Amino acid sequence: MDATMSGTGRRRQAGILDDIREGRPVSPEIHERARSGDYVLEVRDFSLWYGSSRALHSVSIPVQRGKVTALIGPSGCGKSTLLRSVNRLNDLIDGVRIEGDMLLNGGSVYGRGVDVIDLRKRLGMVFQKPNPFPMSIFENVVYPLRVDGENRKGVLREACERSLRAAALWDEVKDRLQQSALGLSGGQQQRLCIARAVVADPEVLLLDEPCSALDPIATLRVEELIHEISSRYSVLIVTHNMQQAARVSDLTAFMYLGRLVEYGATEDLFQNPHLPETEQYITGRFG
Amino acid sequence: MLWLTAAAIVVCLVAIVSLTGLVIVQGAKTFWPGRIERVELASGGVLMGIAVDEEATPDSSGRAGDARRRLYRVGNRDVGAQAFEWIDVDAIAGTTRPSDAGLFERRTWGVWIGTPRSVFIERVTPVLEGELLPEVLDESTAYGPARGERVEIEPGEDGGRRARERLFLVQDDPEAAWTTLGRMLPDAQRRWDRIERLKEHDIGRVSARMERLRLRVREAELASQRGARTGLGWGAWSVVAACGIGSILAGVALSRRLRSRPDDRRLRAARGVCVLLALPLVLASVLERPWSSSVMSGDELAAFSREMGEKIDAIRAGEFAELERTIAALEAEDAQYRIEIIEASGGRIAPRRQSEPDEALQVSQIVRSVRANDLTFSGRLGVYFSRWWEFLSEDPRSANTEGGVFPVIFGTVLLTLLLSVIVVPLGVVAALYLREYARQGPLTSVIRIAVNNLAGVPSIVYGVFGLGFFCTSVGQFIDAGSSDPLPPVGSGGVLGVLMGWWPLAIVCTLIAMSGVALRALALPGPGLVRSTRGVWLARFGALAWFVCVVIAIVLIVRLPYFGGFFSARLPTPTFGTTGLLWASLTLALLTLPVVIVATEEAIAAVPRSMREGSYGCGASKWQTIRRIVLPGATPGILTGAILAMARGAGEVAPLMVVGAVKLAPELPIDAEAPFMHLQRSFMHLGFHIYDLGFQSPDSEAARPLVWTTTLLLVSIVVLMNLAAILVRSRVRARLRGSQG
Repeated sequence: MDATMSGTGRRRQAGILDDIREGRPVSPEIHERARSGDYVLEVRDFSLWYGSSRALHSVSIPVQRGKVTALIGPSGCGKSTLLRSVNRLNDLIDGVRIEGDMLLNGGSVYGRGVDVIDLRKRLGMVFQKPNPFPMSIFENVVYPLRVDGENRKGVLREACERSLRAAALWDEVKDRLQQSALGLSGGQQQRLCIARAVVADPEVLLLDEPCSALDPIATLRVEELIHEISSRYSVLIVTHNMQQAARVSDLTAFMYLGRLVEYGATEDLFQNPHLPETEQYITGRFG
Repeated sequence: MLWLTAAAIVVCLVAIVSLTGLVIVQGAKTFWPGRIERVELASGGVLMGIAVDEEATPDSSGRAGDARRRLYRVGNRDVGAQAFEWIDVDAIAGTTRPSDAGLFERRTWGVWIGTPRSVFIERVTPVLEGELLPEVLDESTAYGPARGERVEIEPGEDGGRRARERLFLVQDDPEAAWTTLGRMLPDAQRRWDRIERLKEHDIGRVSARMERLRLRVREAELASQRGARTGLGWGAWSVVAACGIGSILAGVALSRRLRSRPDDRRLRAARGVCVLLALPLVLASVLERPWSSSVMSGDELAAFSREMGEKIDAIRAGEFAELERTIAALEAEDAQYRIEIIEASGGRIAPRRQSEPDEALQVSQIVRSVRANDLTFSGRLGVYFSRWWEFLSEDPRSANTEGGVFPVIFGTVLLTLLLSVIVVPLGVVAALYLREYARQGPLTSVIRIAVNNLAGVPSIVYGVFGLGFFCTSVGQFIDAGSSDPLPPVGSGGVLGVLMGWWPLAIVCTLIAMSGVALRALALPGPGLVRSTRGVWLARFGALAWFVCVVIAIVLIVRLPYFGGFFSARLPTPTFGTTGLLWASLTLALLTLPVVIVATEEAIAAVPRSMREGSYGCGASKWQTIRRIVLPGATPGILTGAILAMARGAGEVAPLMVVGAVKLAPELPIDAEAPFMHLQRSFMHLGFHIYDLGFQSPDSEAARPLVWTTTLLLVSIVVLMNLAAILVRSRVRARLRGSQG
């Protein structure tokens, strides 16, 4: 993370991917601009094992407040695992073990005494495939409030409208809030999931390839939406799509086989990457 | 291959269609009124009956010969030998269908086939010694003018004489007899119903009141026999009660603290200890309360029993006698209305009782009269449907071969509902634990295999288990309490003291505490997998819980403080015998695997993305289960419930052991408090079919009813399944998100 480490990274740039493949320790290339500023989430030397296979190797990423941070990398590089570690969804999987910690607004995520339920309430998450619950649109949106014990009609209705507007879905569904959410189109469903994720004002919004199951037009709308809500929320987005990362994110982290390779402001990373491997990946020459 | 598979499905279809077709056709034709034939035999004999079957006469070796024979339903079982007779067709000289012949369904002895001849009112009046006999006069009655006729003077009951007179409304005129009967029958049936109601309902109510008074005396006697319990002294009791309240308060305070620090394991363990401590302390302060020793003295008891005895006598002399008088008067009036129905040969009339062959039949004995040869098609339809209605709404008569099956339907439906009410929650909760909470490993696999195998155990095994466990063990415990109670505090050595109730209760609590502590210690830290030490701690914790449960069962079974809810009624058992509750519990056990397997599959089929979405929203495990998993699994759970109901409703073997009877005198639900009498035995369609078909004294008469009852059972099962399927499809539509 410090200057000498990035220096070694630069010296050994020719073979960094080979090093990773052969399990030699590498240090990530972190741009100066990505290190400055106010962190909403700080991943510190975070490692994760599924049983005996290691999925993340001492990853350290500072995520800046009020920015959209994209995680890119080839399949299986651990970007989704990292995202799901932030709200501890990996706890649900048997045999997962972690080392290191994350700090969410300065508070530990994995420390002793952390209430996981409470932690998840402070985060919003949108999944790869739209997963609206089999209930009405209204109940879908206010679900996080309901499980938090909020049952006042007025509060729920107001929150529902606010977050549906934020998700640019209000005009399409305002007349059929009581109908099943499963009757919506795929794109609408995904925007509904975004509305659900932001209804409780999350500290960080986690998006796990939110557009990969959508058609191009729906994708465009969701991307616009991400761009819009990024003014209000800090967003961490996993994406497969290089153009998407370039379009929606302020910062981008490139990961490979469970390690962070390069992290920097999006325009720097895309136009002037420090490592040739990053450039190769971005331009589609491997991965 | 196409042909083979198609042939297989065709065979299945043919089997199913012919089965249902046979049941429907045979079951539906039972109540169709056939025509009465007067058969003159070549030998000179005459008989009257309804042809029900015809076949080739089997020769001596049992093969079908050329000759044919016909089966006639001849009825008149009380004067003849059999209600059905085979007649060789060759022996028949000729048949006619006399229009004045009729089929009379009677309350006892089945049907009578014959021709009504006379209708009269019979009066018996006592004649005082030396008094002149009054003139017998013609009279105008409610049913028209009647011609009076003295029959005889006979010795009366109290040494005097009495005169028997008949007022003939109709004499030797079948046509007029039919019309008069038609006018008389509704009145007679109303009178009969009133007598029945008085006998069953009103007398029953008064007897129940007397029985309650007797039970109160018996309870007081039992209490004084047991004697006063010493209990704790005031000092010791206050200490125990204070500790109990203290541990409850501590538990509440710890719960408050836990709310702000939910992951603090020491706090959690401390709260568990508090709860476990509070339990025996509160129990002790309730059971050993010092003011509980209020038992009547000998004199008080005698006075109480005298008082109750007087009350009982008052009821017997007052209300009870009054009712009996009313019934006697009504019965005497009822006995006046008589009808003479002669059989085909003209010899005998339908008797009032089998022992009095010359006394004419009481009109009220006739349930339905069908003038079978004089009916239009719509008249036949009317008879057909009125028979169906009677079948569905009335009690059975004549050893179940006549009348209706209402109590049987009632018992079947109630049993099925009860069993699903018991089995569905139990199965769903068990499946939830198995799939959602239990750690998936070899143990859960073994449990799963065991549950699946339970479905293959023969049902009679469940019946025997139900009889042995529910009826005898649990039922007798409920009736009379523990047969072998532990002393509250044991004596004689460490082991002897330990075998006291309270020492054992304390041991049980301690073990439970250690279980709680071990489980709390075994929890892994955040983000860490369980260590080997943690795994072993958890195993010991589970073992402690298991031991604790075993001891708790012993503590309950040998509880010295419980004398049974129904000990005053002994030796007549209340719950300690076969009955509806135990039958439904047995069937619930039998169908439990079906529900568990179906629910488990349904739960597993709820997509992972739904659960993750819910957890991602900050829902707890229980919230996710309740709001996402269970609603999503509802169609599957309902499928399990449907299968369980279908299996349970059709089961007979275990019911024969645990409570289905040939004739239940009372319904399990009635107006008598507490309204639900689940300890009563009940009737069940499946058992009824078996009883009609194989236990009936008159198997020919019962055979059509076997078909009809089968049809009914099948339709009830289909109906209940349809209802459940309807519910399921609605739930499914809602889940799938169809509009509206």
